Amino acid sequence: MNAIEIFNLKRKFKTTIGVIKRQTKEVIAVDGISFDIHAGELFGLLGPNGAGKTTTVKMLTTLLIPSSGTATIMGLDIVKDAEKIRPRIGFIFGGERGLYWRLSGLDNLRYFATLYYIDTNVAKKKIHELIELVGLKGREKEKVEGYSRGMRQRLHIARALLHDPEVLFLDEPTMGLDPIGARKLRMTIQNLQSVKKTILLTTHYMFEADALCDRIAVINKGKIIALDSPEQLKHSVQDLSIVEIEIFGIPPEFLERIRNLEFVDSVAVENHDQRQILLVQTPEGPSAVSALIEALNGLRLGNIVTREPTLEDAYVRLVGGKM
Amino acid sequence: MIKRMKNILRIIGMSFEIELRQNLTDGFVMFGIVIQPLIVAFMALWMLKDKGSDYAIFVVVGSAMTGLWTTLLFNGGNSITGERWTGTLEPLVGSPSSLRIVVFGKVLANVTQSLLSMIGCYTLISIAMGYPLTLSYPFFFLVSIVLTIIAFVSFGVIIASLFILIPDFQRLQNTLEFPVYILCGFLFPITLLPGWTTPLSYILSPYWAARALHGTAQGTLEINQIFLSWGLLIIFSAVYIIGSGSLYRLVLKRARVDATLNTTG
Repeated sequence: MNAIEIFNLKRKFKTTIGVIKRQTKEVIAVDGISFDIHAGELFGLLGPNGAGKTTTVKMLTTLLIPSSGTATIMGLDIVKDAEKIRPRIGFIFGGERGLYWRLSGLDNLRYFATLYYIDTNVAKKKIHELIELVGLKGREKEKVEGYSRGMRQRLHIARALLHDPEVLFLDEPTMGLDPIGARKLRMTIQNLQSVKKTILLTTHYMFEADALCDRIAVINKGKIIALDSPEQLKHSVQDLSIVEIEIFGIPPEFLERIRNLEFVDSVAVENHDQRQILLVQTPEGPSAVSALIEALNGLRLGNIVTREPTLEDAYVRLVGGKM
Repeated sequence: MIKRMKNILRIIGMSFEIELRQNLTDGFVMFGIVIQPLIVAFMALWMLKDKGSDYAIFVVVGSAMTGLWTTLLFNGGNSITGERWTGTLEPLVGSPSSLRIVVFGKVLANVTQSLLSMIGCYTLISIAMGYPLTLSYPFFFLVSIVLTIIAFVSFGVIIASLFILIPDFQRLQNTLEFPVYILCGFLFPITLLPGWTTPLSYILSPYWAARALHGTAQGTLEINQIFLSWGLLIIFSAVYIIGSGSLYRLVLKRARVDATLNTTG
C-alpha cells in the first residue's frame, strides 16, 4: 500500500524584478514530479540547494498549493482534503525557526499538544516521554532562546511526534548539528522507522541517506533524475573509480581543462579552508592519475588517492558534478 | 458538539496564555502596555484637571480606547508578522486547529491586557493627582467594558487576516490607526463628521462600544439607548466572527497559493 502518491506535481513561483519597470518572472521550483512512497518506508529526497526538495515537502504538508498535478497522503488529496490530512502528518523544517524562543521547550510542546487536540492528561504523559526520547530532560523548563542548535532541532522532532502521526516529513533535520547531535537524531529516526512510520527525509548528507533510506529519489532543477535503492544508485557508478587529488588553489581554467579530458566522467571540488579536494570520476581508475597530474602541471598538489565510488559519487554524477 | 466547543475553548485559552507569556517577556510590548498608558493617562488628566469631571471622563474613556485600538492594531498585527518571521506561522497553519481560533485567543490576550492596563493607569493617576473620576452608571459601564472586549476582539480577528494575506501590511498599519479613531467616535462625537461617513461608523463594532462606554460613563444615554448600543455591538461582533470563517478560508488559500506563510517562501 502506498502512503504517499505523487503524480505530475508542479509548482511555480512568481517573482518581480526591477524597481521602476517591474517585470514578473516565473520560476518553476518543482517540474512535474511523480513517485510513490510505500507505507512504513523511509524515503530519501536528495538534491542540491534550490532543487525543489522543500517546495515538494511544503506541498505535501498542505502548506503550499501545487500549480498543477496531484498528490495524496493516505489516500487523501493534499488540496481538497488538507484539513483531514493535517492531524495524520507531522513535519519539521531544518534550522532553528518554527519555535517560540521566548517560551520554554515545555510550553512549546504544551501549545502544540493543544493545537493537535491531544487530551490534557495524555499530553502531559506524551510530552514527558518525548522530552526523554529527544534528550531534553532537565532542560525542558528553560527558554528555547538558551538552547543550542541541536536542542532546538530535537525539540522540533518532539513537536512533530506529539500526536503520533502516521506520516512524517523531515526536511534536512540534521542540518547544522554537531556530529554527536546528528548521530543521536539519526538513531531517533531509525527508531521511528522500526515502529513503521512512513518517513520522507530530505538531506544533503549522502552517508545519512545511505544509512537510513530504503529508497532515494534524486531531484535536480525540479525534476526527479533518479529513483532507486541506495545500493542500486551506487551500482550505477560501479564502472567508475574516484581519483581524489588534494590541491592548494585551483584556477577555473584548470578545472575546465580536467572536465574536457576524454576519460573524465565528472568533476567536483570540495573546499577545505586553504586546500581543495578535486574529485574526478573516471572509468580509467589509477591509470588516469598521470594524465591528471599532467593537466594540473604548475599547481601545488598534495595527496592523491584512488577509491571505489560511494552514494555521494553517484549523486555527483547525477546532478552533473556541480558541488 | 460539546467536545468541539471544549476543544475551541482550550485552543483559545492556550493561545491566550501563550500570547500573554510572550508579551510579558517582550520589553517593547511591555512598554506599550504599562509605561506608555501611564504617561498618556498622566498627561490627559493633567491637562484636564481644571475642566470639570463631565468633560474629563469623556476624554479619559476616549483616549483609553484610542490606546486600546493602537495596541490591538500594532501588537495584534505584529504578532502575526512575528509568527511569519519566526517560522511559526507554518506549524500553526499546518496543525488541525483553525487559525482563526488561534488568532482569536491571541487578540483576546492583547485586548484584555491593554484594557486592564488602561483602567489601572487612569485609576492610579487620578488617585495620585487627587482627581477622582466619577461614573454615572458604574454597573452598565462594567458590562460595557466586557462587551468592548468582544467588539475589539471580533474586529481584531478581521484585521489580523489582512496581516496573513499581505506580508508587508505593516506598512499600511499607520493609515488604519486614525480613521478608526475618528469613525468610531473615540475622541469626539461622529455627528461632527460629514453625513456620508455615518453608515461606515455604524457597521464598526468598536463604534457601538465607544458609544456605550461614553454614554454609561457620562450618563448621556437613556437605558434603552444603552441596550441598543449593546445589542448592535453584539450583532456586528457576531457578524464579524461568523464572516471571519469564510474570510480565513479564502485568506489561507490565497496565502498557500502565493507562498506567503513564510518569509522564505
